[in-house]
Amino acid sequence: MAVLEVQNLTYTYAAGSPFEKQAVHAVSFCTRPGELLGIIGHTGSGKSTLVQHLNGLLRPTEGKVLLDGEDIWEKPKEIRRVRFRVGMVFQYPEYQLFEDTIYKDIAFGPRNMGLDEAEIDRRVRLAAGYVGLPEELLDKSPFDLSGGEKRRAAIAGVMAMEPDILVLDEPTAGLDPRGRERVLSLIEDYRARSGATVLLVSHSMEDIARVADRVLVMDQGTVAMLDTVQGVFSRADQLQAMGLTVPAVTQIMLYLREQGVDVGTDVYTVSQAVERLLPLLGGDAGC
Amino acid sequence: MIEVQDVHFQYEADGEHDLVPPAVLRGIDLTIEKGSFVALLGHNGSGKSTLAKHFNAILLPTGGKVLVDGMDTTDPDNTYPVRRLVGMVLQNPDNQLVSTVVEEDVAFGPENLGVPPAEIVERVEEALRTVDMLDYRTHSPHKLSGGQKQRIAIAGVLAMHPSCLVLDEPTAMLDPAGRREVLDTVCRLNREQGMTVVLITHYMEEAALADRVVVVDDGLVLADGTPREVFADGDRLRQVGLDVPQPTALCAALRQAGVALPQDILTPEECAAALIPLIAKKKGV
Repeated sequence: MAVLEVQNLTYTYAAGSPFEKQAVHAVSFCTRPGELLGIIGHTGSGKSTLVQHLNGLLRPTEGKVLLDGEDIWEKPKEIRRVRFRVGMVFQYPEYQLFEDTIYKDIAFGPRNMGLDEAEIDRRVRLAAGYVGLPEELLDKSPFDLSGGEKRRAAIAGVMAMEPDILVLDEPTAGLDPRGRERVLSLIEDYRARSGATVLLVSHSMEDIARVADRVLVMDQGTVAMLDTVQGVFSRADQLQAMGLTVPAVTQIMLYLREQGVDVGTDVYTVSQAVERLLPLLGGDAGC
Repeated sequence: MIEVQDVHFQYEADGEHDLVPPAVLRGIDLTIEKGSFVALLGHNGSGKSTLAKHFNAILLPTGGKVLVDGMDTTDPDNTYPVRRLVGMVLQNPDNQLVSTVVEEDVAFGPENLGVPPAEIVERVEEALRTVDMLDYRTHSPHKLSGGQKQRIAIAGVLAMHPSCLVLDEPTAMLDPAGRREVLDTVCRLNREQGMTVVLITHYMEEAALADRVVVVDDGLVLADGTPREVFADGDRLRQVGLDVPQPTALCAALRQAGVALPQDILTPEECAAALIPLIAKKKGV
């Protein structure tokens, strides 16, 4: 089980030029094997810069990224191997489909890893299954698929490399509620079946609340919070000051508390809220 | 403002395949009143963006008619007047900013309309003031935040003096603060300047801000009413891949458990306000 550790990472864009800008400053954290770590932060908080270090797309100006205790830049020529183990799904990944069939597109990563045809085939079919793409779509051109299907095909391409750590940058952006739900459940499924650690960057607090175990909050290039979902969303005022929010149901609980109702505010989903509120309201059982 | 009369639309078959693509719009009737704020909902592929592209003659109906201020969009003489009246803002701000300086970017539209230079300067200043970005007039748009970029894109449309603004998922790529900025700007334009607004969104709580919600499914109008009316039927919305705002869903779930809550709750504030007397009553018993 792989562990990813970031030690004191600092990254400066255009160092030494008049446009020098420190995007990430002295960030340290460590993933737990098999966890789903949510990453939130406003635009420009440094979260995308940070995740691009995790598979060596950017090289830290200072500090280290350790994969199972080894500095990923120890042997720069072997950075490709890190990219096979830490898979990255970018924003709007459907724009990166380029092969003439979905099958070839999903096979691109495993083929680059130098796997044999049989293994490539196994992985393509498995990954397509993970994301719910039926067999008959595999021979189609990406252009014949709907937006949601293309997004899932692109995610399958990364899953087919069977990375120990899967990083997704806003995988639900631009999808309708059902599409969002579908992508979130396929990420959860993938994690349950593969045991991989998942890092999920999102602007949707509802999504993070629904799937994450822990949440890392970036603000002005530093880690502002790293805690359980409960620990992070209980600090609504601080989140708002950073340009973030809490899920709407959490907001309801906070209002109730402000009005003197004795209710816990560690509630992030509709079903949790129902559970918490019914005893206060009586409902059928109470009357 | 915009009248959509029994509009059908189908993309043309391409040369390679003999397949005729399925109809995207299958008979839409819709009137957008001047000064109204309409949210257009529908799942990916429902036809809502295709419909929106008919509002300013980017697409022309293959059946039926679209009238903008009485002008038929299929008449080529009307294309430019229609596009000046109905401005469009897209999802990705990076795809619609054309210049390296904010004020030049905003000037692009009026320049193309042949507006005299002195008036362009006035219009750019006015548009930037409206979206609260005048301080950034000499900045480079590429260094702004997502919300700021999207407000610059809106200013670029405003500088053409449209009477209707169509926004196609303008907040999909923005963080919560950016979403807030853009929505506040849109609401202000509608309430203070009487701008007609059509907002396409996948966020149900954004649709709740509109006067009217129109749900498109499979090329037809499935529901049309105030947000309170439309969101009261959560089951139907979920059937077509949509949802209701979280506070509405919470109230529906509590109602099902026998709590006497109204059906038309939209915001966290309303929800809390409706719950408090019920909790107090229960305590009193």
